[in-house]
Amino acid sequence: MSATYAAAATLEEALTAMRAGCRPVAGGTDLVVGARQGKSALPDALVAIHGLAGLHGIAELPGGGLRIGALVSHADLVDHRAVRSRYTALADASAIVGSHATRHVGTIGGNVMNASPAMETGGPLMCMGAEAVLASAAGERRLGLDALLTGPGSTAARPDELLVAIELPPPAAAAGSCYARLEYRRQMEIAVVGATCSVSLDGPRVAAALVAITALTPCIMRVPAAEAALAGSDGGAEAIRTAGDAAAAAAKPISDVRASAEYRRAMAAVIARRAIATAIARARDGSESVPIPASPALHGATD
Amino acid sequence: MAIVEERREPFIRQDGKDKVTGLGRYTADLTRTGMLHARFRYADHPHARLLGVDTSRARALAGVFAVLTQDDVPDVRYGGFVEDRTLFARDVVRFEGEIVAAVAALTPEIAERAVELIEVDYEPLEAVSDPEHALRDGTILVHDGWEGYEANEDLVRRGNDCSRSTIAKGDVEAGMAEAEVTVKERYVADMSHAVPIEPRAIVAEWQGDKVTVWTSTQVPFIARSGIATTLQLPEADVRVIVPHLGGGFGGKCEFHFEAHVAALARAAARPVRLVFTRREEFIAPDHRREGQVVEIETGAMRDGTLVARRARLVLDNGAYAADAPFFPQLAAMMVVGPYRIPHVSVDAHLAYTNTTPSGSVRAPTAPQACWALEQHMDAVAEAVGMDPVELRRRNIVREGDESATRQVFTPIAAAETLERAVEMIGYGRDLPEDEAIGVACGWWPSFAMPSGAHVKLHGDGSGTIVTGAQECGTGSVMALPLLAAEVLGMRPEQFTVVYQDTDAGPWDAGASGSQTTFNNGRAVVAAAVDVRDQLLELAEEVLEAARADLELAGGRVQVKGSPTTGVEIADLAEKAAGDKLLLGRGSGSPAPLPECDPSGCTGRLGMESFLAPTFITHAARCKVDRATGVVRVLEVAAAHDSGRVLNRVGADGQVEGGVAMGIGMALSEGSQLSADGRQLNAYLLDYKLQTASDVPSIQVDWVGAPDPNGGPNGAKAVAEPPCVPTPGAVGNAIAKIAGRVHQLPMTPLRVWETMQR
Repeated sequence: MSATYAAAATLEEALTAMRAGCRPVAGGTDLVVGARQGKSALPDALVAIHGLAGLHGIAELPGGGLRIGALVSHADLVDHRAVRSRYTALADASAIVGSHATRHVGTIGGNVMNASPAMETGGPLMCMGAEAVLASAAGERRLGLDALLTGPGSTAARPDELLVAIELPPPAAAAGSCYARLEYRRQMEIAVVGATCSVSLDGPRVAAALVAITALTPCIMRVPAAEAALAGSDGGAEAIRTAGDAAAAAAKPISDVRASAEYRRAMAAVIARRAIATAIARARDGSESVPIPASPALHGATD
Repeated sequence: MAIVEERREPFIRQDGKDKVTGLGRYTADLTRTGMLHARFRYADHPHARLLGVDTSRARALAGVFAVLTQDDVPDVRYGGFVEDRTLFARDVVRFEGEIVAAVAALTPEIAERAVELIEVDYEPLEAVSDPEHALRDGTILVHDGWEGYEANEDLVRRGNDCSRSTIAKGDVEAGMAEAEVTVKERYVADMSHAVPIEPRAIVAEWQGDKVTVWTSTQVPFIARSGIATTLQLPEADVRVIVPHLGGGFGGKCEFHFEAHVAALARAAARPVRLVFTRREEFIAPDHRREGQVVEIETGAMRDGTLVARRARLVLDNGAYAADAPFFPQLAAMMVVGPYRIPHVSVDAHLAYTNTTPSGSVRAPTAPQACWALEQHMDAVAEAVGMDPVELRRRNIVREGDESATRQVFTPIAAAETLERAVEMIGYGRDLPEDEAIGVACGWWPSFAMPSGAHVKLHGDGSGTIVTGAQECGTGSVMALPLLAAEVLGMRPEQFTVVYQDTDAGPWDAGASGSQTTFNNGRAVVAAAVDVRDQLLELAEEVLEAARADLELAGGRVQVKGSPTTGVEIADLAEKAAGDKLLLGRGSGSPAPLPECDPSGCTGRLGMESFLAPTFITHAARCKVDRATGVVRVLEVAAAHDSGRVLNRVGADGQVEGGVAMGIGMALSEGSQLSADGRQLNAYLLDYKLQTASDVPSIQVDWVGAPDPNGGPNGAKAVAEPPCVPTPGAVGNAIAKIAGRVHQLPMTPLRVWETMQR
């Protein structure tokens, strides 16, 4: 049982509470469920941040980037036109987190700071050059996702720092991205294997590519060998196959109730190929269709 | 065969609005003044000798009101077929969910803390988790000294073999020798679970010597007997009430934890509530669907005629017998299937292991055994070079054919289910190369059990049905007003149903064995006929007409052929009020089991012939992702012979739910075990139910005719059959694309591994 719980009215209140040892709670989909399942006890002191207006909302940044408040829900991300059109992999990921209920309550801030190696949004954010904006009484600092995520359940944020926003730089011209996941069922699923690709094109050729793998290593990580295989290539089957094999080679899979290590490694190549092929296709035709059956709202959205 | 009469109009069930609006109160919602919270201390080893239990630190914790072990309750062994259990572990713990002690405390958190403070001293023993290993000579016995247990005398048991049944017909050796083709295979099904969305909950409160127990059980009268037996109370002092039940699927059949909570409440002198966590729901109840090993061999002629069937089955009993001892005989019937086979030899065993005990889950043994049989049938079809539907068409049982125990079938529609299912799905049409259609047939008995009901009419003309039957979500109790209304010429909405209370209704076996409509439906009809006779007697005087000339229709008793001459039933009821009691009673006596010749069978526990058998064919169109092994079921066509369908909306719903459950068993639902028998995925993220988004389009049709041995108006069982053939149909579709998968569930990993071979 949590000993104290207070809802912060302002960011300053929240940061003061965190400096005094409070841990933040927003949607509670990881924190509360984890405590109920006995995964980890609730912190002794909680500060609720759901009322902090400055942490809500998605805003266009000067120069074409996007600032996503830490309290933005997965459902909000999926419904956001700019996210779908310019940061499509993030929409892919947000559309398949948990269930409809999880997506409406869970936040991107919680998803990132929970730092699960299987989190959906981590790979897309990493491949889009996202920066985490961390606030404390001492001020703000920014960390790239690869610097932020330091291990399963651990980040480089200090205990008194609160994630207030994720900032995304503008995508390159002729860019496309995709997050793909191995799914045993269509809702309430957790990534057994996930892969992200973000590419930009220079005419028929791939100008640059970023590839990350999810749930295959202790931290979500980029795969430079896969990126190298794609950069400068024609984005065809051979390049995609080489990149997929590189993703599989970078994996450090385990065997557990969800899959064998052998299957995970084989699927790393399959899922990476799918993410890469879709990212390239999206870059070529500007398509923003996110083929996720779990999200009728997405399919219904035409704006 | 003509489509039978059926009711298609929507009918709003009495509990419907409560359940869909969230107003409904379930057991976990109940609070009593001064109520405490219960937690159990479970075994720390799957198999160990219990050397000592020290509860002193737990008892000393502030807020703890009672701590119980086996020393604190009557030393009673119990069990329906074998008395192999005690409420708490006595000398040995035999599976990870065995209860060593129980605590009642002011809050669940204090109770949990107290449970951790109980010190238990064990001598670990070798744990046996593999049922085939358990049957080998020299393996450690799960129940050392089992010979001393009281047991059903028809049980054939030896060592870890808790129950053995055989079926023998003809000469299987000669049949195999005569066959032009023989096919032999081995299938292994993992254990799975009922997984009701409501984890079980129990509240117990004493008043003097009497105890009231609110419990999420499917079988209130059997729960009452269990409490009375284990706590050595007169049944009259035990009242069991079932609030809304949040699903059961068989997992809440039998007596489970009611006595533990009642004993805690007595010791604490306070009401006590127990609410299970999801993990407990997986680990502790003795009612999970058993794992099976099926070795099956068939001899056939080149024209597809089946000649001989030999099979050896090993079923995983888990640590205690519960109601599983009849499983070997039932599973043996299931691997013969609804086919004509002259020579049969089946040998089925139920092996004790140090795992969570098995018990009835919706159509026990059938989905796994049918999955093995029906995939095997496709393998036989392939071996003789015949389309698998054609092979079934040539061998499926028809009127006049005899079963493996020489039961002669009266008119049945088994073949019609096959034809209708393949017609609905468009069997044989062109499909994309990663899609295929699989077909599977199955059968399932109706169960005759005693049952009773009262029907009474009130002064305002409304009615009440008082029944001991238990609603578990299927709608069978909620649909009883349809039957009473039909007899009395009234509307179903005019009846309320009083059930859920052992002090109110007559004894009933509860929501098990698809028996509610079959048996209690007949009782309600008889009770309504009794009331109808009383109304006619009153109407004779009022209308001055002979009873034979009167009929009940549209809420009136009227003269046949002259409907304007009549009287409202409500007026008759008002007239009778205070003078005559309009109270009917009924208890339909069920038809006896059909004759058969079980002379070649051992371990006979009542499954050797099937009363009013139901037949089912499912056809499933599936898509296999060849790169990942992920299977999607795109479409299922389900054709059923359940005799006359009384309530089409309700019956269709049972098929839709059964198919969804069957798809779960086919693809994703299975427990993974550690070497010593602990469940590794006892939580819903990794024990994967199908979600609403996964369930495909399901077409349902009913092709049976009223069965003279059936329930009311010739109805047969409905609730269990729908999950029987689905896994087999899905398996046969997968096999056409990826190769045959011999393990259940057919997970992406297993499908992928099959493709790698």
